Amino acid sequence: MTELLVKNACVIDPIRGINGDIMDIAIRDGRIVESVSDRAEVIDAQRCLTLPGGIDSHTHVCGTKVNFGRYMSPEDMRAGRTQRRGRMHVTSGYYVPTTFGNSYRYSAMGYTTLLEGAMAPLEARHTHEEFTATPHQDMMANTLFDGNWAVMDAVREKNVKKAAAIVGWTLNAVKGYGIKLTNPGGTEAWGWGEDLTSIREPVPHFEVTPAEIITTMIRANELLKLPHSVHLHCNNLGKPGNYQTTLDTFDLVPDLNPDRQTLYATHVQFHAYGGGTWRNICSKTEEITRSVNSKPQIVMDMGQIMFCRTMTMTADGPMEFNLHCLHHNKWSNHDVELETGSGIIPVTYSKKSAVNCIMWAIGLELALLTKSPWQCLLETDNPNGAPFVKYPEVIGLLMSKRYRDEECATLHADTEGRTSLWALEREMDWHDIAVMTRAGQAKALGIINQGKGHLGIGAEADIAIYPIRTDSVDPAREYRKVVEGFQKTSYTIKRGRVVSRDGEIIVDGANTTFWVNARIPEDLRVDNDPEFIRRFQEYYTVRMSNYPVQDLYLPRGRRVDTEAFT
Amino acid sequence: MRVILESKVRKKPTLPIEAEAIIPRNFLKGTDLLVYEGNKERKLSELFWIFVEGTAVSPENIEVVLKGDTSRIKRVGEYMDTGSILISRDIGMHCGNFMSGGTIEILGNADAWLGREMRGGTILCRGNAGHYCATGYRGEKKGMQGGKVEVFGNTGDFCAEYLAGGEVHVHGSTGDFPGVEMRGGQLIIEGDVTRPCANMKDGTCVILGRVHEMIPTFEKIDRRVLPEWKITADVYKGDVANRGKGMLMIKNPGEV
Amino acid sequence: MILNDVVCPFCGCLCDDLELEVEGDRVVRVQNGCSLAEATFMNDTRLPAPIRRTTTGWEKISYDEAIKETADILKDADRPLLYGWSSTHGEAQSVGVHIAERIGAVIDNTSTVCHGPSILAIQEVGHPGCTLGQVKNRADVIIYWGCNPIEAHPRHMSRYTTFATGFFVPDAQRERTVIVVDTRRNDTANIADEFLQMEPGGDYAVLSALRAIVRGKESIIPKKVAGISKEQLIRVANICKNAKFGAIFFGLGLTMSRGKYKNVRNAIELTDELSRHTKFVISPMRGHGNVYGSNEVFTWMTGYPFAVDFARGIAFYNPGETTAVDILRRGECDAALIVASDPGANFPRVAAAHLAKIPTVLIDPHVNATTALSRIHIPCTAAGIDAAGTAYRMDGVPIRMKKVIERGYPDDAEILKKIYDRLNGEMGS
Repeated sequence: MTELLVKNACVIDPIRGINGDIMDIAIRDGRIVESVSDRAEVIDAQRCLTLPGGIDSHTHVCGTKVNFGRYMSPEDMRAGRTQRRGRMHVTSGYYVPTTFGNSYRYSAMGYTTLLEGAMAPLEARHTHEEFTATPHQDMMANTLFDGNWAVMDAVREKNVKKAAAIVGWTLNAVKGYGIKLTNPGGTEAWGWGEDLTSIREPVPHFEVTPAEIITTMIRANELLKLPHSVHLHCNNLGKPGNYQTTLDTFDLVPDLNPDRQTLYATHVQFHAYGGGTWRNICSKTEEITRSVNSKPQIVMDMGQIMFCRTMTMTADGPMEFNLHCLHHNKWSNHDVELETGSGIIPVTYSKKSAVNCIMWAIGLELALLTKSPWQCLLETDNPNGAPFVKYPEVIGLLMSKRYRDEECATLHADTEGRTSLWALEREMDWHDIAVMTRAGQAKALGIINQGKGHLGIGAEADIAIYPIRTDSVDPAREYRKVVEGFQKTSYTIKRGRVVSRDGEIIVDGANTTFWVNARIPEDLRVDNDPEFIRRFQEYYTVRMSNYPVQDLYLPRGRRVDTEAFT
Repeated sequence: MRVILESKVRKKPTLPIEAEAIIPRNFLKGTDLLVYEGNKERKLSELFWIFVEGTAVSPENIEVVLKGDTSRIKRVGEYMDTGSILISRDIGMHCGNFMSGGTIEILGNADAWLGREMRGGTILCRGNAGHYCATGYRGEKKGMQGGKVEVFGNTGDFCAEYLAGGEVHVHGSTGDFPGVEMRGGQLIIEGDVTRPCANMKDGTCVILGRVHEMIPTFEKIDRRVLPEWKITADVYKGDVANRGKGMLMIKNPGEV
Repeated sequence: MILNDVVCPFCGCLCDDLELEVEGDRVVRVQNGCSLAEATFMNDTRLPAPIRRTTTGWEKISYDEAIKETADILKDADRPLLYGWSSTHGEAQSVGVHIAERIGAVIDNTSTVCHGPSILAIQEVGHPGCTLGQVKNRADVIIYWGCNPIEAHPRHMSRYTTFATGFFVPDAQRERTVIVVDTRRNDTANIADEFLQMEPGGDYAVLSALRAIVRGKESIIPKKVAGISKEQLIRVANICKNAKFGAIFFGLGLTMSRGKYKNVRNAIELTDELSRHTKFVISPMRGHGNVYGSNEVFTWMTGYPFAVDFARGIAFYNPGETTAVDILRRGECDAALIVASDPGANFPRVAAAHLAKIPTVLIDPHVNATTALSRIHIPCTAAGIDAAGTAYRMDGVPIRMKKVIERGYPDDAEILKKIYDRLNGEMGS
């Protein structure tokens, strides 16, 4: 039995309605309990800001595409190199760090749970191998279904149950957590070097539209009773004028689940552009947030960009190629048979570029214009908008109008007229930030009852203690202190163990991978369907028996069972 | 001030030494510097006899002289910004990496990656230079960006790869692919070359010697007199395999 | 006993549809596999026990003794080299990386002598590729450049390209156009629709010419480029531009001929150029079964796919400097651990000779040319035969290799783990 007592913590725990109370937190064997014995080890939080461990509900840290980003970027690996030291392995890289680099840096920032945003089922084993080497965070994998042939066939047949059965079987086989749709239909079109330009345009050969894929998958998701909703990267990412596609997509979404959203729209910054060309691109965040503010069934995340050199990586292969044609730098692409695509290119976001400045403003506007912080979560689509180590700066910007004004003064002159950021007075408070960086994520991902995102009795003892005194720091004025405070916790506690102290990792990690097993009635299971099996064996290049990820790839896997179709 | 470093005889003479600490500025505060021999950290004095002559108040007045067998010593002059280094014999890889100012003179030969990612200053190599003379780092878009590298002997392959600025002047011949991926700056080769300036995007290259295996995707646009070199040169634009706007000028082979 | 859907660990195709008949500790029949697969499973003669060189020959030693001596050799070395890794599973590779960072070693894999240049090219311009099933289901134009799959990857054409039935290519043989580029007319060239016979070393020039033609600059191309007529180049460029889905596969003929990574880069840039007209992809034909896995494991752990130098505690990478052949050729390293490979057979003589001069330990199931250069040889399981583990196919698809028989050997990951534990114990934190 191991016991730990955190005393004098200034706790903000939005899920339990606690906002800045000074309290003690008792921990036994990795979970939060009523009280501990006097033998418990004691940490004095000294009235510093204490939050549930941070949760990133959309990041790219593990798997084929991320690793290819590393593989092709020796120039980035020269940044952020650290030696082996104590419990810490060697790390390399800034925007695409090694797995240990990711894990240590997230841990130093108080993050204890991550959702990998895109896992191709065929290459799932790779993602899980890297999860094991990302030891300080519990992991989940969004599983890509945007160009899944069997799913598109089911959509064409208007057979929601069959679509659900395919998803259920696949999630179980690849140990995935939820449904990810990246440019639905577009990734299949990219198999021919084409893309789709609206949610009503049919996918070549399959004759289904993105709108049909999205609505079918939303219903299938709820039939399977998955903890998370459909997680969507909308069509037309990064194209001027794409906000209309985004609005059309949001209008498709019914409100089907009382416990959480029905659609999680990711990195909406990249989907909120007005205008028709790069010359007249402008912000359409007012339209987007008006829609979201009236639709509790939608949760989005920011997809904030920050000014730096970074790497874009997404399953959205055609988008990456278009971007490559603008940047003329290196370009990788990796289409995955019968399933999805992917692309990777390095970019530099610069204040000299009006387009980049407008993008930067759009991300912040989305957060500031969305009334409920539970509906707009904080992230950068790491590393697409910026590496996650920039989160503290994003927090600072959201909390301080002065910080924003100072930054705005350094931007390209065309930015002000094409955005609304200058006029936004809102300054987020500590509670808003706690929602946008952990509580909101826990609710959106459906992991509150797994003991994540809150500090209630029975919760997993994932805790971040920041060297910030909320009673003495004025974030509007002293935003630098806020940024610094969120960069490095005093203590990051993972499952009841102090894993990071003042930014230094002090133990070997032992993370858990959450995955979903939807129990599907025998007669609906696709692995009993001879036609499904025949097509699999004929068109995939691996045998169906070799496709599922063995349990041993998840040494501390935690299966989340659902009773589908009930 | 002059600092003379004379290499000591080593038990394992083929072990590489990494000595990025050897730049003039560092000797302002004494000679208590660290270098690496293989995977072991060593004091400078373990590997060199150190002699200091005179004093200096600013680094630009410091000259570092390397003597003895220095052919396995890497990264001498890395990030050097002022002062001078004189190397009496051969020098190991990465001499003058990221250099931004000052002068390095090598009386012997230089190993590979001489002046890699150089930003400014001058490197004079009296002997030959190895492969990747005056180039960049793997994966990086720009190689050398400023300053001057002058090699009086020959160079190996990929000389001035990714050259983006500054001047590279080779008095002798180069190996394969000089000026490959060039995107700026000036490359002058007085001797013979094979496959010059492949895939160049921008910049200027002048070749006074013979060219073997000209890349087929250069467009001949002119013949002109280059008074600076007292030659008539064929002028090519390329590489048209990409959208290249580079200039490749080759001495008219008919001329003696 | 009959085993189905067995994975062949031999080459980068990692065919996973073999049927094996097993009797006790022997494989007696291989179905569906190529001749290389058959040899892999059936001609599997092992070194029975660890051996150490004496002044007159070899002596048998225990595993414990061999492990202790290996750790002692590595612990004291000033510039140790850990090399190989391509024929074992990811689990062993990752212990290897941990050992390297622990002792400040250089760790390198066999990419150094095969597709290292491809990696360097990719690091300059990226890699437009796909999984092999995309090619199988869609490609109507296939190009084999500098490779001879019929010999080196015998089932590549029947599983993924020329002869494979694909969803959008139901009549593969009729619907796919095959183009072969090589310096000699090899077996694959004999079944090509279009064969470009090139002068040796002409790859770069031919690729540049094709790029220029695709960009509409054919007027400046001379009548012949490296022995290939301009007419044929234009014809081939048109076939590519008019393809629905084109796929280039290249081998050591491109990566190891003059110009090396610049050849590969040029081929990738041709693919990029063609992608502006139609769908085009390119893929290296990786050799060893899990060489790509070693690149993947090295990359997520160190940031670099091969040739990683930990001498300074951090990971440093510079092929040409930190590559195994170069370190050996310069006589730098003073101890070597070779795992799951045979540099004695594949390295230039001067590099191999240096291995014989220094204490070299080999961990490999089989006696090979490197045994003769080693001080100690520790036999272990063979991944995919008597050990299970992860391998990455040439297109990045991770596949679990199976254990099909038990032969009583320890897994190389286990041996390495013991060496690592011993080093940790002796070197402290």
